[in-house]
Amino acid sequence: MVSHAGVFDACAFRAGEHCFAVDTSCVAEVLHSARLTPVPLAPESIVGLLHLRGRIVPVIDMRRRLGLPAADPDASRINLVIRLGDDWYSLLVDEVLDVQSIHLDRIERPVKSVDGAATDAVTGVFADEARLVHILDPERLVQSLHRQRISSLVRHGVTHGG
Amino acid sequence: MVGTNDNEEFVQEFLVESTENLDQLDRDLIALERAPGDEERLASIFRTVHTIKGNSGFFGFSKLGALTHSGEHLLGRLRDGKLVLDDRVTGSLYSMVDAVRSILRTIETTGSEGDHDFRDLAQRLTAVAAGEAVEPAPLAPAATPAVPAQIEPVPAAKESPASAVSAEAVAPRAPVVSAAGVGTASGVAPAVEKGIAPDRTASESSIRVDVGLVGSILDLVGELVLARNQLRSIETDDPAVLAAAHRINAVTNALQETAVKTRLQPIEHVFNKFPRTVRDLAVSCGKEVHLSIDGGDTELDRTLIESIRDPLTHLVRNAVDHGIESPDARAARGKPRIGRLALRAFNESGQVTIEVEDDGGGIAVEVVRQKAIAKGLVTAEKAAALPDERILQFIFEPGFSTAVTVTSVSGRGVGMDVVKTNIEAIGGTVDIHSRPGLGTTVRVRVPLTLAIMPALIVRSGSERLAIPQAAVRELVPLKPLGDREGDRGGPRIEGLADAPVIRLRGRLLPVVFLDEFLGLRERTACRDEGTVVLVRVDDHEFGVVIDGVRHGIPTEAGVGEAASLSTVVVKPIGSLLAQVGLYAGATVLGDGGVVLILDLRGLLQAADLPAAREVDAVAAAAAATDADRYLVCRTRHGRRIALPLDQITRLESVPAGDVQVLGDRKVVRRGDGFTPVVDADRLLGGGGTEPGDAVKLVVLGGPEGPVAVSVGQILDVLAAESPLQSTAATRGIAGLLALGGLATEVLDVSRGQPW
Repeated sequence: MVSHAGVFDACAFRAGEHCFAVDTSCVAEVLHSARLTPVPLAPESIVGLLHLRGRIVPVIDMRRRLGLPAADPDASRINLVIRLGDDWYSLLVDEVLDVQSIHLDRIERPVKSVDGAATDAVTGVFADEARLVHILDPERLVQSLHRQRISSLVRHGVTHGG
Repeated sequence: MVGTNDNEEFVQEFLVESTENLDQLDRDLIALERAPGDEERLASIFRTVHTIKGNSGFFGFSKLGALTHSGEHLLGRLRDGKLVLDDRVTGSLYSMVDAVRSILRTIETTGSEGDHDFRDLAQRLTAVAAGEAVEPAPLAPAATPAVPAQIEPVPAAKESPASAVSAEAVAPRAPVVSAAGVGTASGVAPAVEKGIAPDRTASESSIRVDVGLVGSILDLVGELVLARNQLRSIETDDPAVLAAAHRINAVTNALQETAVKTRLQPIEHVFNKFPRTVRDLAVSCGKEVHLSIDGGDTELDRTLIESIRDPLTHLVRNAVDHGIESPDARAARGKPRIGRLALRAFNESGQVTIEVEDDGGGIAVEVVRQKAIAKGLVTAEKAAALPDERILQFIFEPGFSTAVTVTSVSGRGVGMDVVKTNIEAIGGTVDIHSRPGLGTTVRVRVPLTLAIMPALIVRSGSERLAIPQAAVRELVPLKPLGDREGDRGGPRIEGLADAPVIRLRGRLLPVVFLDEFLGLRERTACRDEGTVVLVRVDDHEFGVVIDGVRHGIPTEAGVGEAASLSTVVVKPIGSLLAQVGLYAGATVLGDGGVVLILDLRGLLQAADLPAAREVDAVAAAAAATDADRYLVCRTRHGRRIALPLDQITRLESVPAGDVQVLGDRKVVRRGDGFTPVVDADRLLGGGGTEPGDAVKLVVLGGPEGPVAVSVGQILDVLAAESPLQSTAATRGIAGLLALGGLATEVLDVSRGQPW
């Protein structure tokens, strides 16, 4: 994540009332409208698949992933497509804000909680004039989803077990 | 010495090229053994070794250089007629090929030649060249570490770097050599000659392309197909636009077809290893085997080529080790001393068929039968009744081996079950035919590619899903419960409890309701709409219920709406979603929509359907006629009751509000009329209860019109296990019956009428 000059470029976005940011080097594309195909029995945070130039990309609802209240179903949301090695993911966010260069020495240790939101993927906090930006590690965002399978199947069992 | 990236690239190229050259060397050596006087062959071998030697010097691989130098020297003596080709010479040359291969592999993994010193081998080559008496070369090179243990069911060996694919498929293909030898015993030797023919010109008409690049081209072509579809949907009368659109359409189709072919490789890549394998194996078993190869130019997706390598190697080893008898035994049976092994590949109905046929002793069906009984796979009575063809299938069971002696070559406990598992994992099938005393044929069928496959696009709930067509046996529309006329419309769902089944031609097959299973629709007590897609996975046959027509008898058109056939490009969905275990990938349809491809094996596991055998057991009970079968329910007070199945016309779950109370009667509106509703508990003389949100109704057809019995829970459909035992004038009860091992009261609706 760290660039040589002690500065890194962060792409900031909004999910719920909070601001988050990921390293721009992993951002591949921003899609303002995309057709989502739901994936039954997928981990809860994965709201569907989208088709991006021949590639099938899983879409992670950042509100769900970060434990924030659900979005208004009618609200138009934005897909921030990221690339981690050979894997592509799309982060479904409420708004893409801007790209800022952040000096590493201005990043502080993350606070314990973000009003009840999940903080496992937050690696640091940066405060600019207007707001607090939580810096996310995209690898961690995705990794924890790998463990959600069992819970989603259990949920399925409760709902449909008769 | 391999300092720069540039150099690394060259080394990589050198490795790929040399590995191919070694395969060629193996084949040339075998041909030379057979025809020691073939000077052209000898010259070809000399050139190949010389090339490797030259390249080794260029890259500074000194051990490789020294070794090939000794080999070249030996070959030079042969070429000049100063040495006669004998076992000693060929043995040491084979050892050299193995050593070179081993060094190349070390270079590939570590970047250097490694510590192993091949000086002794170089000395032996020199000694042989000088005509000195030397220790004989190891008799069975296959058993030395130089050749990896191919018998183990390890994942595909990476013998050639995965970064390159030969794009020969794009180049104009040489005319297919006629399949002489297929089905006939002749043409064995010519077939081998064909495989060995120095076809070096192929390298001039082909290029090496990065696999990733081929993938990107395929992706882009996929995009083009979608754009083409959008273009087609534009309505216009402009002839110029129409003509251009038409042309783009044709070119896109051709481009897609061609692009797919770039992934294909001739099956030679696997077959080429076998002459050497068979030779070494035959030597170590003390047998004589003549291998014929046919159809090496048959093409297959490169990923599949890797997947069939191990299973085929196993089949070939089995044939030599267990199939073909020793020369003496063959002579005693009046067969030629030299055994024959034929490998054939050909295209057949969109799939690739590979046959491994030997003219050995065949499989002793009786031994298999006895062993299957001993292992408890089948009862003695059943085994006696099964035809030989079915008995043979037992050799695919895990841990089954018929070899009387366990040799070092095969019979290590991994056998045909691994072959079957590996082939089925790529959507293929294996079957075996044996003629006692005459030989065995194993036929492997695999799809041409996994990147593209025919699939059934079905609807379930609000979603579309793809079911791989290879697994689909048939589509069966469900017959609604209300439909009593004739046999039209197919089977119904039976066994309504937690294990729904359908009865089809005397068999009971478990079914899974796709929409409910995937959580696309609420679970309901009874379902009688939809279409069953009957699929087969491994040995399990089961039904997947998809959406069908909503009312009446489904028609052909109805099924057509529910499912359509399409050739889909399979795209990976990533590890995050692959972990769900239900999807094999996804595809993009012509309308741009993404559709998930069901992994039927995963579905079978997740749905936890009863195994085929259990269904067989149930089938006996199901053979009873409708008149002997009862719908078992629980009343809301918890009493276990039964209703004769042949009186039931329909099962319904209706909202409580739909049941209207008229005085002390209750009715439900159905179609044009009203059907009286009877509470089962009240029929039995108890008090009625207020139902919850939904009322479960069993609708009976009576002489005075239908009657709906409201029950608490529908349990199952069971066959009567005892005659109906009448009970003295108990209100609402026709008698007692054993059903599912429990005494169950049979409801008598005609006598009750307590509304």
